[in-house]
Amino acid sequence: MIQVQNVIRNYKTGETVVKALKGVSLDIGDGEFLSIAGPSGSGKTTLLNLIGCIDALDGGEITIEGQPVSGMDKKAKTEFRRNNLGFIFQTYNLIPVLSAFENVSFVLSILNIPEKEIEERTMRILKEVGLEGMENRRPDRLSGGQQQRIAIARALVKNPKIVLADEPTANLDSKTGEEILKLMKEMNRKYHTTFIFSTHDSMVMDYAKRLVLLHDGQIVSDERR
Amino acid sequence: MFLVVLACKNLTRYKRRTVITAVTIAIGLMLFILIDSILIGVDRESVRNLLWYETSSVRIMATGYWEDRLMLPLDVSIDDPYAKVRLLREQGYDATPRIMFAADLILYSEDFGEDGNLPVRVTAVDTTLDNTVFRFEDTLLEGRFAESGKNELVIGSWMAEDLQAEVGYWVTLVTRGNGGFFEAMDMQIVGIVNCPNPNVNRSLLMVPIDTIADYLAMENLATEIDISLPESADVDIEAQAITRLMAESGNSATVMTWKDLAGDYLAMMQAERGGSSTMLFLVFLIAAVGISNTMLMVINERTRELGMMRALGMDDRSIHWLFMLEAGGIGLLGSSIGVALGMLANIYIVQEGLDFGFFMREMDMAYRVQGIFRGAWSLRSILTTFFSGIFLSMLVAWIPTRRAIKMDIPSCLRHQ
Repeated sequence: MIQVQNVIRNYKTGETVVKALKGVSLDIGDGEFLSIAGPSGSGKTTLLNLIGCIDALDGGEITIEGQPVSGMDKKAKTEFRRNNLGFIFQTYNLIPVLSAFENVSFVLSILNIPEKEIEERTMRILKEVGLEGMENRRPDRLSGGQQQRIAIARALVKNPKIVLADEPTANLDSKTGEEILKLMKEMNRKYHTTFIFSTHDSMVMDYAKRLVLLHDGQIVSDERR
Repeated sequence: MFLVVLACKNLTRYKRRTVITAVTIAIGLMLFILIDSILIGVDRESVRNLLWYETSSVRIMATGYWEDRLMLPLDVSIDDPYAKVRLLREQGYDATPRIMFAADLILYSEDFGEDGNLPVRVTAVDTTLDNTVFRFEDTLLEGRFAESGKNELVIGSWMAEDLQAEVGYWVTLVTRGNGGFFEAMDMQIVGIVNCPNPNVNRSLLMVPIDTIADYLAMENLATEIDISLPESADVDIEAQAITRLMAESGNSATVMTWKDLAGDYLAMMQAERGGSSTMLFLVFLIAAVGISNTMLMVINERTRELGMMRALGMDDRSIHWLFMLEAGGIGLLGSSIGVALGMLANIYIVQEGLDFGFFMREMDMAYRVQGIFRGAWSLRSILTTFFSGIFLSMLVAWIPTRRAIKMDIPSCLRHQ
């Protein structure tokens, strides 16, 4: 499903060139629940961003569902992300003036789905992530765990093939973090959606069915469980 | 629809900032509406006062008179003016002959306290026909109008004030008659007029045309024929028709509209329109800077949110629209408040006006308004101001949004 082939990504900070990824190669299949782990600065987020088509490659190629990412222009990448990818962020990134329902449903609005279907799908996913009855609450009236549940619902509501989560539990206490991971795993099982998440937390790594360890921009181990 | 909902909700996110920016726009637009109203009102009143007391709508002069008009020549005059007036009246035009001439006004110590003289311009009018073209009948402040064939003179109120002239005083007009001879005419002031046109008030000396014709050898001659037209008439088209009429009747004459005659006023109006546009530009510039600054802050604070929306597949055009709708919302709020306040304040300006009498009395500003500047309603101007406020607000949001969209998504997501 996803082929990462000899991917290179460099960042320039002033005169210094930081080699974030030094020729990373990786094959990810349908429905995997994969964790990219490693210490800070190992290139986890960079790899996620490249797979998520929100960053540009300096070398190598990433192919998703047979489509090479490097061949897409900005517009094509936007469309690709809109139709195929879901994102979960460490800081949730919810829109504070919108209710839980609106935060989830706007993803369907930009897909031009009819209003009735938007409502049905949004209510269904909110129920599945355990937020039934809270759909009218704004994020500031919800706990961190509940906010991340909205983010998961937002990522899944459009039935994407891939969900990318950058340190999804980093801002949560361990108990809530575990609940979120269980929810993600359940969604992975139920919808057969590929989940790729980054972490440096060993508890989170334990939940992964496949663990890819990055160090200094290179894969140092790739373990299936 | 989602963009509109989100934009509206975002307006409530930074309430204080939204209100401050909207108030800035509102004050600017309110001031513009008021100033524009005064300018329109003064313009309309000035034109009316020009037509009623100074130029009339159309003027016929002898060929060559306009070129020498500053000399007020008597030898370049219209022959048989009453025949022409009759012809014009048959065609439905109200017309009257006048003789304009320059003179020295001699003042005597018996009446004025000291002897003196000053150069003046005298208007000799037909005491019967003049009021069918000009509107002096309601302007009499004191005394009465001059009577046909008598040595009587009517004076403007400001001139009377300046000379300390009163009804019953005698003056002498010394001038050269048609042919170059000197003539001195003793005239008694019989009336003082106070008309709304300050230029006329400042300089009017009105005498009967038949009296002057005898003195100055101007029998059956006039220096001009003034014609009034209904307000709805197109003055240029009518002037062309009058020119044709004169030519067809074998009379060589120059026909000019009030726009040609009041060149000084129109030049000032043109400058004023330029000033008005500059003021509009400045008002909008202030509003634009305010809203641009607000949108810069908004976009800076929401860069991460912007990154999230872009990551989830919202295209650049939708993001542009989102922020432009937000800015448009602030513009709508500011424009609504500004127009509402402007219209409220304008009720007073239209009904009561602002008294600039102290200013206009001493200065000749080319406005033909005596003192009180009254506003006027202009729906077009108010609507233009309203929609410009909204449109401009949306326009200035484009630049900061564009800058934010140029930032790559990972940088947006990392933004603190």
